[in-house]
Amino acid sequence: MTETEYAHPEVLVSADWVEAHLNDSKVRIVESDEDILLYDLGHVPGAVRIDWQGDLQDQLRRDYIDAEKFEALCARSGIANDTTVVFYGDKMNWWACYAFWAFKLFGHKDCRILNGSRKLWMDQKRPTSTEIPSYPPTHYKARGGDENQIRIFRDAVEAHAKAGLPLLDVRSPKEFTGETLHMEDYPQEGALRGGHIPGAKNVPWGRAVNEDGTFKSPEELRAIFEQECGLKSSDSIVAYCRIGERSSLTWFVLTYLLGYPNVKNYDGSWTEWGNLVRAPIARGA
Amino acid sequence: MPKLNDIIAEIADCDRQERIDLLLDYARNLPSLPERLEAHKDASHRVEECQSPVFLFVELKGDRVELFADAPIEAPTVRGFVSLLLEGLEGATVEDVLSVPNDLVARCGLTETLGMLRVRGLGGVLRRIKSEVTRAAIDRAH
Repeated sequence: MTETEYAHPEVLVSADWVEAHLNDSKVRIVESDEDILLYDLGHVPGAVRIDWQGDLQDQLRRDYIDAEKFEALCARSGIANDTTVVFYGDKMNWWACYAFWAFKLFGHKDCRILNGSRKLWMDQKRPTSTEIPSYPPTHYKARGGDENQIRIFRDAVEAHAKAGLPLLDVRSPKEFTGETLHMEDYPQEGALRGGHIPGAKNVPWGRAVNEDGTFKSPEELRAIFEQECGLKSSDSIVAYCRIGERSSLTWFVLTYLLGYPNVKNYDGSWTEWGNLVRAPIARGA
Repeated sequence: MPKLNDIIAEIADCDRQERIDLLLDYARNLPSLPERLEAHKDASHRVEECQSPVFLFVELKGDRVELFADAPIEAPTVRGFVSLLLEGLEGATVEDVLSVPNDLVARCGLTETLGMLRVRGLGGVLRRIKSEVTRAAIDRAH
């Protein structure tokens, strides 16, 4: 990759591109938000809603839906195996990246992110609609995905930390030091201990995005992750946050914008680690 | 509080999409904050449990509670819920407010519609209204 280009520029689409493909039957636009009502308030015309809680998570145990439910979700959303799926949402695309990551767990091939998120689309007063579209159901077949490459569980995280391999804690500095158990202004979401996984570096997720919702340039991203954090593309890296949403944005940045092939998201994150009996914890900066 | 009870009954009776639409209607119809309160949108009037900037003002007029609030339209869920409370508690007495069920969010069926992780901030709005009303009543008694 050259200095000025993202490693996989094709996964990032501009608002202009999306606007030009609103009626492209090979493209499905997906909105994923923290505030579930935003979609109903007005969305990109033709976009479907996929909710991280209601659609992508299993409603009984803490996990994602199974392949069968994923196939049903895609089928009813008009997503076929060869559909280009473009994700966007609020919070600078946290949940869009989370949904993108979940789609990769099931091996969906062509996933993209709208650079700028919902914010840029609305700020630029691009077309919106309140109509809930319906598409002819598809016959989706989950290919079986990249779970082993992109997801990591607690025991492997502990081994990773013990081996001194790079760990990124992308929560806010106060969550990292253990001063608070949750984001500023967010409700406490049930971790019994504060702090971080020993050896983790604190790189708040938001450093990778600009105020207008777009991602920072390749040079700026490299300055943060390579010059400042000392990461290399050959590193095996684990990112985590509170429930795995902010770290899926960092996972996306490292994997697709910087082209690191070996990055995993620890979706158990602090709501698991901070409750684990005898899990090692470090406090302070 | 009969008005609030009617609203709870109506929203609980809705299907998922109707409930979302109803909450959006409330969000759109939240009365704007009186000008005299605009200048007081500070930390002491902010509802801490909400991640979006939600401001709440409680006043007593005679034996009636008057509630004013502001929340951004970019956070339609909490704005809608605040608006629902303001409408349901219009003309309420201190006792009416304090007797609102604490599990109001669940009674409205919102836990089911919004998901467990989304409703905590909403419960915080109701707790805040109750604590502010209690404080105003104590202040007046002194």
